[in-house]
Amino acid sequence: MASRHIKELTKGLFKENPTFIIMLGLCPTLSVTTQVVNALGMGAGVLFVLVFSNIFISLLKDAIPNSVRIPCYVVIIAAFTSMVEMVMHAYVPSLYKALGVYLPLIVVNCIILGRAEAFANKNSVLDSALDGIGMSVGFTMSLTLISLIREVLGSGTITLFAMGSFDGVIEIPVLNKYPVRIMTLAAGAMLLMGYLKAFFNWKTSRKRG
Amino acid sequence: MKKMFQVGLTLALICAVGATLLAFVNGLTAPKIAEYENSVLVQALKEVSGEFIPGEKVLETGDNQISAYYRLVDTNGNLVGYILQLVSNGYGGGLSLTVSYDVSGTVLNAKLLTNSETPGLGKKAEAAGYMDKFIGKGGTENIPLKKDQLDKADADSVGGATVTFTGISKAISHGSQFVHGLGGK
Repeated sequence: MASRHIKELTKGLFKENPTFIIMLGLCPTLSVTTQVVNALGMGAGVLFVLVFSNIFISLLKDAIPNSVRIPCYVVIIAAFTSMVEMVMHAYVPSLYKALGVYLPLIVVNCIILGRAEAFANKNSVLDSALDGIGMSVGFTMSLTLISLIREVLGSGTITLFAMGSFDGVIEIPVLNKYPVRIMTLAAGAMLLMGYLKAFFNWKTSRKRG
Repeated sequence: MKKMFQVGLTLALICAVGATLLAFVNGLTAPKIAEYENSVLVQALKEVSGEFIPGEKVLETGDNQISAYYRLVDTNGNLVGYILQLVSNGYGGGLSLTVSYDVSGTVLNAKLLTNSETPGLGKKAEAAGYMDKFIGKGGTENIPLKKDQLDKADADSVGGATVTFTGISKAISHGSQFVHGLGGK
């Protein structure tokens, strides 16, 4: 019984990774991954919205009439997204600025609506919460991987949160001086996404034999 | 008919609960947000005004590229120039600038505020020193509007981000003309 719950949690990490396997939410994936800090912030936003919307949709699944379920989901998701937006604007304004339009666009992030429709409205509250956590952690991991590669190659830096005397930016010698500019642009994101997808496909096909 | 009513009611109920929650969160965060926005503005004003003192904010500019302006006075209360809040377009959409001019329309200082330019290219316009190529221009000397009007070092600094540069220079030049139009009032 317990192993089934654990499976709901871990499937989002690799087996059903939202970015590389299900290929959902690619628009924010490609656009916010210019800096590592943005990827982490976006991941945190999605984690909050996805977990709470999954919990509430699962709780309300019997009360919501089938004919208007999508509008109901959108209202629930939009409410949580707006909360994240206001809280971020008030307490982490630099992150709010960096995420820009992609923060409110969490509302239409297909991962969230997709999980609501495909999972939360059919499963228990616990499983839905676990699914939400797993999926958003998987999403955050993919985003961090992409942004790490893009930022290191494209700007020669790794931007994290500023803490104390550490200003949050790690500079990488050589690349800092001669960066591969295309990686910070949209084309670089597409290119990298394609290579990574090919790499993961190769990995899985090798495992199958 | 009854079913339709029920469906509508459920949806309305969910909306009402959502709206109430949002109103609550908004009440908690709105003062914090206003405080932050204000601190950004005050900081920018302080940076561009140098040793002078910005006066009251004037919202009525009659110009859609200038959202507001401030009169700039010295310690004796004499008018020395203006600070303009300019809006323009860059590569990533809208951007806003705070620029100070003396009464003749010469740029004293400038700062890029909100923008969504590409990190590593257009975003460099936020860096210290980018605005140096505009400072001192606008009065007797013209504000550079094109890349070939800049000297080599400056032209290199805008390389790869021409759209950003054009957006900024057009706005600053427009602001300078607006200050001419004010005529030291």
